[in-house]
Amino acid sequence: MDLTHGFGARSGIGPVTGLESLNFSDEFRQLVTTTPPENSGGSFTALLEMPVTQAMELLHFTDSSSSQTNITKLAGDISPHPFGTLTFPSNSLLLDRAARFSVIATEQNGYISGETPSSSANLDRVKAEPAETDSVSENQNSKQNQNKRKEREKKAKSSMKKTKSSVEEDKLPYVHVRARRGQATDNHSLAERARREKINARMKLLQELVPGCDKIQGTALVLDEIINHVQSLQRQVEMLSMRLAAVNPRIDFNLDTILASENGSLMDGSFNGESYHQLQQWPFDGYHQPEWGREEDQHQADFPMGSTTLQPNQKISEPKRCRRRSP
Amino acid sequence: MSFIKVLILKFSSLRTQTMASSDKTINTDVPEKDVFAIHFLQSLSNLTTQNPFNSPDTTNYRARKIKKAAYVSMAKAAGGSSRLWSRALLGRAAKENNKIVRFARRKRKVTWKISSKRRSDQRAPEATDRLRNLVPGGGTMETSKLMEETAHYIKCLSMQVKVMQCLVDGLSPK
Repeated sequence: MDLTHGFGARSGIGPVTGLESLNFSDEFRQLVTTTPPENSGGSFTALLEMPVTQAMELLHFTDSSSSQTNITKLAGDISPHPFGTLTFPSNSLLLDRAARFSVIATEQNGYISGETPSSSANLDRVKAEPAETDSVSENQNSKQNQNKRKEREKKAKSSMKKTKSSVEEDKLPYVHVRARRGQATDNHSLAERARREKINARMKLLQELVPGCDKIQGTALVLDEIINHVQSLQRQVEMLSMRLAAVNPRIDFNLDTILASENGSLMDGSFNGESYHQLQQWPFDGYHQPEWGREEDQHQADFPMGSTTLQPNQKISEPKRCRRRSP
Repeated sequence: MSFIKVLILKFSSLRTQTMASSDKTINTDVPEKDVFAIHFLQSLSNLTTQNPFNSPDTTNYRARKIKKAAYVSMAKAAGGSSRLWSRALLGRAAKENNKIVRFARRKRKVTWKISSKRRSDQRAPEATDRLRNLVPGGGTMETSKLMEETAHYIKCLSMQVKVMQCLVDGLSPK
């Protein structure tokens, strides 16, 4: 007999063959124990929509007695089911596995209730054995009705994957190992994702910084633009340094005088006397106010038009420059 | 001269304090233009005091010196040793002068990145590789850290360019 009509229909079916019920109970047991207690994405308990405790109760029920009434009663409990049909393949292969795992399942209850794998771990587990499910489903096909094959395949996949994963679990000594293995891949992918997000956030920051990068789509072009910008800035620095070198044959910036001219009250005897005298020669305030009118906000530390240690010929040119500058 | 140094230190400390108060996840604040200006001018005065007797004749030589002074002053103004690129710049400059400058830094983790890149056949110089070549000290940084440093470096560079532009405008004969 087939189990296509799900639990809801089960109650209406009436007497179920002993074999089927046994399969069901074993399936239940292994499926419940091999899935995490929480209602994560692909877990069977989520499918059942009932808490683990109830599922465990179910197990014990089936353990003690595989009476039809129990099953039907429990089936009735879970009849409001999102999935229309939930089939369990009554396969001999499955039976073997179920028998094997029923013993282990009870042992592993403690482990499983302790662990909390993420939903993606389930998905990884589920995804990890598509080949296996295919092969098993093919086995099923030969033994079941042809017209029911597809439905059973679909629903069996979830169960088959879980059995397969439980097989792997069985091979390993601890449950933790499998969980860790699943999570190890997750850690990598999580770390990768975090790293990528970090890089993207910083890239956005750079995009705002560099003019004209907002319009560009794609990180490669943005990076090229950033590189161009950096190169242009460096070239500008070089250009300006060349101009600075060319501007004055002798650039003598004397900070004493710079700050002396600005903060007259702060002058003290440590200054060079000569420089101070030379400052008197140029009425700095008169020249500087229109001068610094446009550069006021840029340079707080205003520097003189030249240093005070200029050569004589340059001293002559300096005032001329100032005068020309003032509007 | 000590008075000058005190003033400069006051300036720079003031700026850095205000900068440190803003605590974002990615902190790329640079000091104001004054700090850059003061540092640059100080470096220039140091430069000229090195050659008091006569000026080196070639403009190129002077230009190179000024460029080096500009970078060093920028690195100092931008945060001394609190940035990887500034540390690398100052280290590079000190090495050229045969001076040993060592900053207190954490133990650098092994550059897995470079060794892993060699695994695949040498791909065409990717954008990140080119960026590493451009930004000082970028050879052994993680990509995310590289981005951060690049942002700060760009800000500092633009500030330095502005300062130098003002200086040139102020000094150039009209």
